[in-house]
Amino acid sequence: MRKPPKVIVVIGVSATLLAVLPIAYLGLRLFEGFDRALAELLRFRTLELLGNTGLLVLAVSASALLVGFSQAWLTTRSTVKFASSFAVLAALPLAIPSYVMALGYISLFPTFSGFFASWLVLTLATSPYVFLGVTAALVRVDTATEEVARTLGFGRFQVLRRITWPQVRPAATASVLLVALYVLSEFGAIALLRYDTFTRAIYNAYRGSFDRTSAAALALVLLLITLLVIWFERRYRGIYLANTKALGKRVRVDLGSWSWAATAGLTLVAVFSVGIPMFSLLVWSVQGSANLDMPMLLDALWGSVRLAGLAGVIIGVFATAIALWAVRYRTRLGAWVETASWATHAIPAVVVGLALVFFGANVTPWIYQTTWMLMIAYLILFLPNALAAISTPIAQVSKDLEDVSQSLGVPANRTLFKVVLPIAFPGIIAGVALVALTVLKELPATLLLRPTETNTLATRLWGATEDLAYSQAAPYALLLVIIAGLPALALNAQARKALSEVRG
Amino acid sequence: MATLNLRGLQKVFDDFAVLDGVNLDVKDQELVAVLGASGSGKSTLLRLIAGFERPTAGTIELAGTEISSATKALVPEKRNIGIVPQDTALFPHLSVSQNIGFGLSGWSSKDKVARVTELLEIVELTDFADNRPEKLSGGQAQRVALARALAPRPALVLMDEPFSALDAELRTRLRLDVKAILKTEGATAILVTHDQEEALSLADRVAVLRNGKIIQVGSPTEIYNSPVDIGIATFLGDSVLIDGEVKNGKIITALGSLSPLNKVTDGQVGRVAIRGENFYLLPNLKGEGEVVGQIFFGHDAVVEVVTKGIKIRARSNGPFAPEVGMRVSVWVRGSVNFYPG
Repeated sequence: MRKPPKVIVVIGVSATLLAVLPIAYLGLRLFEGFDRALAELLRFRTLELLGNTGLLVLAVSASALLVGFSQAWLTTRSTVKFASSFAVLAALPLAIPSYVMALGYISLFPTFSGFFASWLVLTLATSPYVFLGVTAALVRVDTATEEVARTLGFGRFQVLRRITWPQVRPAATASVLLVALYVLSEFGAIALLRYDTFTRAIYNAYRGSFDRTSAAALALVLLLITLLVIWFERRYRGIYLANTKALGKRVRVDLGSWSWAATAGLTLVAVFSVGIPMFSLLVWSVQGSANLDMPMLLDALWGSVRLAGLAGVIIGVFATAIALWAVRYRTRLGAWVETASWATHAIPAVVVGLALVFFGANVTPWIYQTTWMLMIAYLILFLPNALAAISTPIAQVSKDLEDVSQSLGVPANRTLFKVVLPIAFPGIIAGVALVALTVLKELPATLLLRPTETNTLATRLWGATEDLAYSQAAPYALLLVIIAGLPALALNAQARKALSEVRG
Repeated sequence: MATLNLRGLQKVFDDFAVLDGVNLDVKDQELVAVLGASGSGKSTLLRLIAGFERPTAGTIELAGTEISSATKALVPEKRNIGIVPQDTALFPHLSVSQNIGFGLSGWSSKDKVARVTELLEIVELTDFADNRPEKLSGGQAQRVALARALAPRPALVLMDEPFSALDAELRTRLRLDVKAILKTEGATAILVTHDQEEALSLADRVAVLRNGKIIQVGSPTEIYNSPVDIGIATFLGDSVLIDGEVKNGKIITALGSLSPLNKVTDGQVGRVAIRGENFYLLPNLKGEGEVVGQIFFGHDAVVEVVTKGIKIRARSNGPFAPEVGMRVSVWVRGSVNFYPG
C-alpha cells in the first residue's frame, strides 16, 4: 500500500479533529451537568417542541414528495406542454434560501406565520430535492417495463403503483430523508414565521439567558433526532437498484383532457415558490430604494464575500487533501478520516454553532469571537459538500496517467502535484465555488459566532427582520439570490444533469 | 379459424405513413415472422397490435372480435396479447418467478404457483427462480421475458427482435429453444426481425415488410426460392443481378442460357437474380473467369470472380475454394428467377 504525503495526513487528521471535537465537547459538558440538563429536558416544553418539530418534518416530507414526484413525472413522462421550462422552474427554488422565501411571504402578508406558513414555505423550498432525485430515477425506468405490465392485464394507475413507483422508490426515499434533515436543521425560515421547533427554541434559549445549559440540552436532543434520521437514510441508501443502464427511449403518456390541469398545477407551484416571493422582494426593494443605506449594503457585501472566499479556500484545501487520501491512496486511516468528515453531514447549523460557542468560550478562548471560529463552523458544516464535489474530479483522473508519470522518473508525490491535481483542478475549483456560494447563504452559525464588528448580507437581512423593517431587508435578500442562489444552482451538477435529462 | 386479422392497417406519424395498408392473417398456433429492414415499420406494427398506439386507418381483429380501429381501441390490458420486448424489460424490482407470475393476478395462489413452476421448467430456469433480473445472462433474461409473456396463456405473443442483443452462438441456440417453447405451449406468435436467417429458420410463415407494406407472405422456402421482386431477392440472400432476354422459354444471359423458375413469355427483357450458391466454379487454366477476391469463413467461402465483364460472388466449399489469381470456368446450377423490366 502506498503511503500518502505527510502534508495530506496532517491536513486530513486535523480536519477530522476540528469537526468532531466541538460536538464531542458539547456532549461531555452536558454529561457533567447531567442532572441539570435532565431537569431542563423533563418539561412539557420539550414535549411540545418534539411534537411541533415532528409534525412539521412529517408534513413537509409528505407534501414535498407529492409535489416533487408530480413535477418529475409530468415533466419527464407526460406530454405536458413546455416540459423543459417547467423543469427549470421546478429546480429554481434551490436558488432562493428558505429564509429569503419566508421573508418574501411575510413582508407581503405580515400575519403569515405558524405551522401552516412554515409548512408551505418549507414544502416549496424542499420539493426541488425530490424533483431532482426522482427525475434522475424516472428517466432510468425502462418504459418498456410499463408497457409489458399493460399487456399483462394492468391499467395505467396500477402500472404506476406496481411497476414505476417501486423502481423510483429508493431515490424518492433518499430525497425525502434529505428533506426531513433539511426541515430538522432549518432555522431562518421557521424563526421568521414564528413556529416553535427545536432550532428556534435553541437559538432563543441561547439569546435569552446567561445559563446556556437549556440551549445545550435541547441541542443535544436535536442532534440525537438528526442522527436517527441519518441512520435511516444510510440504511435506505444502500438498496438502490443497480439500474445503471443508459437512458432508454421514453414513451410519454398523452394526458389528453387532463393536460390543462397539469399545466395549471405546475404553474401554480411555480407562482408560489418563485413568483410570489420574488415579486414581493422586488416590490419592497423598489419601495425601499430611496432609504437604502448604500455604504452599509456594500460593507455587508464585502463581509459576505470575504468570509465566503476565505471559507471556500480553507474548506477546498481540506477537502482536496482528504479526497486525495481516500480516493488515491486507500489506506485504512484515510477511509476513517473520510467517514468522520461525512459524519458531521446534516448536523443542524444551530447545534454546530452552539457547540463551538461552548468549545470556544471554555477551551480555546484565544480564537473565540474571531473569524477563525466561524471558519471552523463552516468547515464542520460544509466539508461533506466539498468532499462530494471534489472527490469526483479527483477519482476521474486515470490511474494510468500516474503510472506513466512515475515510469518517466517522476516520484509518486511529485506526480500528485504535477499530474493529478492539475488535471482535476477545474473540478476542484467548481467545488470550491459551490462551497463558497453555500457559505454566502449560511445564517444561524454566522449569527452565533461572527465577530461583533463583522456583518454579512445574511446577518443584515436578519437584523432588519428583527426590527420588522422588511423594505430594508428586501435588497439584501435580492442580492443573496442573485450572487449566491442562481450561480449555485447553475453549478449544481445534479440539477444540470436532471434538467438535461428531462428533454431526452 | 384465423386468430389475428390485420385489414388495411395504416399508421401516419407527422404526415409520414410508417405503415401503409398492411394486410396479414395469422392462424391459430402459427409462428409468423415479419421480416423487414430497420425503418420498415416492424416495431410500429407490433405497437399497434399490442395497443400502445392507435391506427390511423384499418382494423385489427383478434379471434373474430375487432380490438382496434381508427375510432375505437381496446386498452392493452384487455387484449390478452403478450409481448417480449427487444431488451426484455424485466421488472428490475421483482425476482424471476415474480416476473413470470406478474400477469397471473386473477389466478388462485395454487394455480399461480403451479403455472410459474411449469414455466420455469419449460424455460429451464428453475434454479434461478429467486434471482433478480440483473443476475441473469442475456439468454436467460430473454427466456424469462418469454415465460412472463406466455404465463397468462395469451391469445397471441409478440416478439420484437428478441435475439438481436445476443451473440451469434447464443442466438442460434436460443432460436431453437424459443421455437420448442412456443410449440410446447401451443402459442400463436408474431416475431419481427431484420435478420433473414432468423426469419427463415424459425417461422412457419414469413411476411416481408417494406416501406410500410407487406410485399410477400409465404413459407420460408417459398420466400427464399421465389421472391416476388428483385428487392426481396437481394434482401434475402447475396444475389448477383444479370441482364437477360427470354427466348424459347429460356433466358439468354452473358453467362449462358438459364432455365426460369417463374413464368416467363418470349421477348421479355429483364434481369435474373442468381444466388451465390447457384454458381459453380471449375478451375480451368483457359477459363474466362479470374478470381479477384476471396472471403474465407471456414465452412465455406465467398469467391469474387470477374467473367465476361461481370463481377459475381460465388459460394464455395471453404477448403476447396479457388484462390485469388486463379482462372476458372463459371457455371450456373439450377433454375433462376427472372424479373422483367
